[in-house]
Amino acid sequence: MRTSRLFVLIASLALLTVLSLSAAAQSEPIVIDFYYPSAIGDNVATIMDRYVAQFEEANPGIDINPVYAGSYTQTRDTIQTELNGGGAGPDVAVMLSTDLLSFIEEGHILPVQSYIDAGDDPAAWVGDFFPALLLNSYDADGALWSVPFQRSTPILYYNADMLAEAGYAEAPKNRDELLEIAQALTLPNGERWGLLVPFAGGFPIWMFQSFAIASGRNIVGDTFTDVYLSDPAVVSAAEFSRALGTEYGVGPVGGSVWGDTPTAFIAGQAAMIYHTTGSLTRILNEAPFQVGVGYLPSGPAGADGTGYGAPTGGGNLYIFNPVGQERSQEELDAAWQWVTFLSSPEVQADWGAATGYVAARVSAWDLDPLKSLAAEKPQYGVARDQLAFASREFTSYRAIDTQNIINTTLSAIISGAEPDAAAALASAQEQIDALLAEYK
Amino acid sequence: MKPALRHPPLFKKEPPMQDTALTASKAVSLPWSRRLLRMAFPYLLIAPTLILVFIFTLYPAANAVIDSLYSIPRSAREAPVFVGLGNYADLFTPDHFIGATFTLVIGNTLFFAVTSVLFSVPLSLGFALLLNQRMPLLGVWRFGIFYPALLPLIGAASIWAFLFSDTVGLINTVLRSLGGTTVNWLGDPNLVLISVTIVNIWKQAGYYMIFYLAGLQNIPRELYEAAALDGAHGWGMFSSITLPLLRRTSLFVLVVNFIFAFQTVEQLQALGQGNPGDRGTLLLYLIFKTIPERRNWGYVNAMTVILVLLLLTFTIANFFLFERGREDADA
Repeated sequence: MRTSRLFVLIASLALLTVLSLSAAAQSEPIVIDFYYPSAIGDNVATIMDRYVAQFEEANPGIDINPVYAGSYTQTRDTIQTELNGGGAGPDVAVMLSTDLLSFIEEGHILPVQSYIDAGDDPAAWVGDFFPALLLNSYDADGALWSVPFQRSTPILYYNADMLAEAGYAEAPKNRDELLEIAQALTLPNGERWGLLVPFAGGFPIWMFQSFAIASGRNIVGDTFTDVYLSDPAVVSAAEFSRALGTEYGVGPVGGSVWGDTPTAFIAGQAAMIYHTTGSLTRILNEAPFQVGVGYLPSGPAGADGTGYGAPTGGGNLYIFNPVGQERSQEELDAAWQWVTFLSSPEVQADWGAATGYVAARVSAWDLDPLKSLAAEKPQYGVARDQLAFASREFTSYRAIDTQNIINTTLSAIISGAEPDAAAALASAQEQIDALLAEYK
Repeated sequence: MKPALRHPPLFKKEPPMQDTALTASKAVSLPWSRRLLRMAFPYLLIAPTLILVFIFTLYPAANAVIDSLYSIPRSAREAPVFVGLGNYADLFTPDHFIGATFTLVIGNTLFFAVTSVLFSVPLSLGFALLLNQRMPLLGVWRFGIFYPALLPLIGAASIWAFLFSDTVGLINTVLRSLGGTTVNWLGDPNLVLISVTIVNIWKQAGYYMIFYLAGLQNIPRELYEAAALDGAHGWGMFSSITLPLLRRTSLFVLVVNFIFAFQTVEQLQALGQGNPGDRGTLLLYLIFKTIPERRNWGYVNAMTVILVLLLLTFTIANFFLFERGREDADA
């Protein structure tokens, strides 16, 4: 009697376990590990948590597991370390648009072109993104790999009150006007700078691209092996960038530090600054004066409306399907759904208004809250309109090495450590050509 | 009674003087498991440390040496190519993209190490001498000087990034209000390494002071009293008693200082990221900057091997100077 009771008990327990396990297996949602470059508890991470909740409610079969891994560099290092060590890595990640080639070469990511082609209207879907923001998404064969998410571009911020006091009603349109206003508003001994350009630190290349493009030659061409450093237009742009500090004295020699630049502007210690659109919300909220926003002024040759130009920047969405760690079709489909959601006009309109990143979809600008914000504060529209003149952000094969070479060379020239700009750029060009020879 | 005390029961069981053959035969008569345990016991005791050292130091180091002989091909699907000492040769080729930086950075690192030592050793000794005396609020002073050593590196460096900032920085704001000329601490290519060194000296001096304080307090008072009776004072006492008896501390501080100098990374991230023109880049930071590109791993490993060799040199020097010095002192 006792043995059989015990047997029944054990058997029923076992049956229950098996049943519950299989039930769990059936309703087990697909988990998408989503790596996002931000700190936990950060303002931006809080917004992201809201999107995750929205998406999960609309897609009950998919769980998004956001991982806030720090800066872009830290997130990339995390991904590389995991994948090199045989780990699974993320399913979806927001990484710099310029990381595309290394991810392709390392076999980490999946092209999204097939998903786009399988959609209802591929041309309309792609066409709704600002073309400049897709320039860093294609590979050499024209397939699309990454989808714009948090994109930015440098713009000119100016202290409109200060300019008005000095008799300037408008933002400078070209290099001559830029210099004139900057010199007029500079006070001696760094008490107030006329123009701060954040060249200092480890990443002058992005700001420099603005000057190179305005001088008539982006440093990167249409393929991933075209680098133009020794072009006369680029040399003159480098010399002008240096002269802002050494000759004209409208800013510190070597340029300002990235993080200090908006702080100095808000504190009234700089009349004009070049900075990312990503700083727009903060500057508008904190500056105790009328903030003007304009296109980056054109180069020396261009009249108004011509010769404008800026690189694009920021992060794109990547779907990961690493070599040796291939995902199932269901997981990839779920990842694509998440990517479509984040890049949708609705989310982009919300995201752009909340952060100041340029909403990447044209139709996002017809949706609230972005629509009413842009109507109320026209500054938000400037970066969008400047996109018409925007070019590719620098990238190439072995992008980390080529960027390191260019950043070091530029900072040496602009800080005055390297007096001969043409020779320094020619030697950098030589080093890069040697690196890229095998890819040509 | 006394003899009984001299011969406690223990000796009766196992007399101190024994025939070696007898011991051997006794050992042999132990069960084999006990014998194995006895033989293995010392190794078991050092095993935890040895395993950790093997996993986290010896194995990676050996791996780095092997990997430094390979070059990484374009596709992640291809196997690395054996290039012998090619990576090392590239590091010392000034025209090569990595060689141009590497030679500059080795120079920077040596400058940084030597300058840090030249200033922080006398400074920490000075602090220790000063704070080894009786004075009001002694604890506060000692804590104040030691405090920078307690701060996390990146936090301390961020404070200095603000102090050094060209436009909004504290130092330049003060200079400006006094009517002085401002200084571009991190933007001037000839100044950036000095600025980074200043932060390092500020950070480390208090730490070394602790060693000097301990060293000073180990010097017997009687030596000074005896010297005073013989008419010595001031500099004489310092140069013939204090300094020689702090020799071991000084050597230790010197070596640790050098090793730290080669391990500097965090400050640089906050203080100009090695630019302008890599004039502020140090060896480990260069490795950190080069590693994200997969195809550089051969160079990264070669640089790591060179770094480890340099540190090993200092460690061995430390062993011979410091450990042997101790024997001299004990003798």
